[in-house]
Amino acid sequence: MKKLMAPTTLFLSVLCSATSLAAEGDIGVAAAMDDRYCTTCHGVEGLGNIAIEAPRLAGMEAWYLKRQLENFRAGIRGKHGEDLQGNAMRPMAAKLSDESITDIVDWIGDWEYVPAKTTIEGNVRQGRTAFQACAACHGANAQGNEALGAPALAGQNDWYLLTQLRNFRAGFRGSHQEDTFGSQMVTMSKILRDDQAVINVVSYINTL
Amino acid sequence: MTNPVSRREFLNLLGAYGGTSAVLQAGAALGFMPSSSQAAEITLQANNGKKVAILGTGISALTTAWELTKAGYGCTLLEASHRPGGRMFTVRSGTVIDEIGNYQRCEWDNDPHLYFNAGAARIPSIHSNVLKYCKELEVELQVFVNESKTAWVQDDAMNGGKPVRNTDYSSSMQGFISEMLSKALGDSQLDSSLTESESEILLSMLRRFGDLNEDMLYKGSTRAGYGSGGFLDHGTKKDVVALRDLLKARNGGSVMVTTQEGTGSGPLLMQPVGGMDRIIYAFANRLRDRIKFRAPVTEVMVRGDGVEVAYEQNGVTEVLKADYCFNCIPSHLMSGIPNNFPTDYSEALNYIRRGRAYKAAFQAKERFWEKENIYGGITWVNAPIQQIWYPPHNIHGKKGVVLAAYNFGGANYTEMSQEDRIEDLLKHGEKVHPNYREMAEKPMTIAWHRMNHMLGCAPRWARDRGGWSDKEEQMYETLRQPVNGRHYLIGDQSTQHSAWMESAIQSAHHALADLDQRVRSEPA
Ligand SMILES: Cc1cc2nc3c(=O)[nH]c(=O)nc-3n(C[C@H](O)[C@H](O)[C@H](O)COP(=O)(O)OP(=O)(O)OC[C@H]3O[C@@H](n4cnc5c(N)ncnc54)[C@H](O)[C@@H]3O)c2cc1C
Repeated sequence: MKKLMAPTTLFLSVLCSATSLAAEGDIGVAAAMDDRYCTTCHGVEGLGNIAIEAPRLAGMEAWYLKRQLENFRAGIRGKHGEDLQGNAMRPMAAKLSDESITDIVDWIGDWEYVPAKTTIEGNVRQGRTAFQACAACHGANAQGNEALGAPALAGQNDWYLLTQLRNFRAGFRGSHQEDTFGSQMVTMSKILRDDQAVINVVSYINTL
Repeated sequence: MTNPVSRREFLNLLGAYGGTSAVLQAGAALGFMPSSSQAAEITLQANNGKKVAILGTGISALTTAWELTKAGYGCTLLEASHRPGGRMFTVRSGTVIDEIGNYQRCEWDNDPHLYFNAGAARIPSIHSNVLKYCKELEVELQVFVNESKTAWVQDDAMNGGKPVRNTDYSSSMQGFISEMLSKALGDSQLDSSLTESESEILLSMLRRFGDLNEDMLYKGSTRAGYGSGGFLDHGTKKDVVALRDLLKARNGGSVMVTTQEGTGSGPLLMQPVGGMDRIIYAFANRLRDRIKFRAPVTEVMVRGDGVEVAYEQNGVTEVLKADYCFNCIPSHLMSGIPNNFPTDYSEALNYIRRGRAYKAAFQAKERFWEKENIYGGITWVNAPIQQIWYPPHNIHGKKGVVLAAYNFGGANYTEMSQEDRIEDLLKHGEKVHPNYREMAEKPMTIAWHRMNHMLGCAPRWARDRGGWSDKEEQMYETLRQPVNGRHYLIGDQSTQHSAWMESAIQSAHHALADLDQRVRSEPA
């Protein structure tokens, strides 16, 4: 696999003399050689892309990003056949080196946090009540809590939160035996009685 | 193989009575030839000084840039990738496949015949605008052989999994279909819908089509080749493959229509000598100083008097100001790029889905297929690899590049590792060619869903297989109108027939005509 280059050269792409076929001339024959691919799917500065169903990365905690990238790489996340978005992400991470993960997480740390647009509307009042259980780990303002391994939820794309909660409830995410935090979420998400309750809680998070 | 099934069995098998007459009636309603397709005449008003930002370097963008440059506009093209052409991509010695998480560099022999068209590969004769630019830009073309009767059909369920020659399959199938139809013609219900002379002509056509005997029965055909002899000695017919055996293959539909569905042209297709990207480089070499590579667009702002496009280059954000913008960035990627498009325009952009496609190819140590009397065409395999293509060029050369898989939509190649993809293509290919594994050198694979800066094969508009909904038609019209008369969405995504180069070019022509009309109506 690709070797990660020294950070200073990361933005400079390496020119490979691709081919001697004359018709191509010397244009467009170089290739970038780092693993900083995230924005193709996740949007400019990781703002999230609904058409790809790739969530906002800007503002995600470094420790959370690292854990998820490692989980994807190891197949702890994204292997369940029904976790379609996870299935798409897993192979992207499968060959990442530890250095690449560190580099990517640092890079994402440079991006400006811009709260995502609201796309989901449910019963905020009922969502607020349900959220009390979530707040224990994720914080009253859904700001996250590293000590408990619970990421921030506020400002995340609501469609992503919805998919993940549905996946936890159905066991599409968090069922892998090594997914310690994921399995906690499988249990916790069952507190939400039905899909409407999931929509409500996400609607409440939208207000935070 | 066993005896062919009787006519009665066959009709029962297919429940063909109603079906057959229905087909004939539908046929009677046809009889119109599509009007022949003509290349567009582009006559833009000469213009000096107007600046145009062109986003992406797909064929629609290059067409736009070429036409506008000829007319005197000042064009700048911004391309995120290290290479031009998007989905017109040829892999050869040294090419990098920039698939996310599956970076590959091609190490094939450095030989102009050894290439793999990883995206677009075939040009039908009615794609007049593709052909027009090939002519104008002096891109040499050659015939592409899409169908070879000596290629194979393989399905684990048919013939004990052993491949059958295309001709054995198709000649027999034609024979059975003709036999059945000619008998159905005796049916009074069907008979009454045709005049005597129509029946007569149909019957004589069926006899030839199916190679039926005097009694209008299919008893084998020399079209399938001879069992023995045929040159110095009298040829003997091969045994007839039983219909029931043929009906075990589930990919027969593909075998019977290899001449390309939906293109309106016959089995004759074309390809540029040396690879499909010869078209791309013919444009790009003429526009070279105007193209910025590794310059991903990061923001598109449409203003009252023009467009501001931000892009990144060498880690620095630059802003390009232009009077007009033509944008072929795939809609699903545009959704992740900040912009100030109107809400209905954004909604339409976000609506389009991306299709999946997977191709794989390897350099063959020897042209082993030629020893099996194959000189081009497609082998159909009822497995996810679906197709094996043999190069129709450089016949009797030393090596050749075999297309070892071409899957649309299904299968899970996107998620598979490179190792698993390679094992998969070898495993299925060797059911057809026993020495396949040994012949395959350095397989390359491409899952378009994971290709950097593309993430998809072809745009998919209609969610329902039945066709476009009114809402979809409406969103399509929204995207066909320029934002503020300044921002044009181009590419096959803004056409109703995606996955063709011709569509992408025509989208550019459509937008150029609109621009030209606006410019002409401006006060001097
Ligand atoms: C597997 C496959 C087989 C095909 N077979 C055929 C065939 O046989 N015959 C045929 O006629 N057609 C075929 N097609 C379809 C044909 O390739 C396409 O219709 C055509 O090439 C599309 O051109 P386009 O102008 O829409 O741009 P695209 O090729 O989609 O180009 C989009 C461009 O935008 C660039 N881009 C992306 N993000 C950014 C950004 N942020 N900033 C700047 N640039 C960006 C991309 O790098 C790319 O260059 C096939 C396609 C595939 C994938």
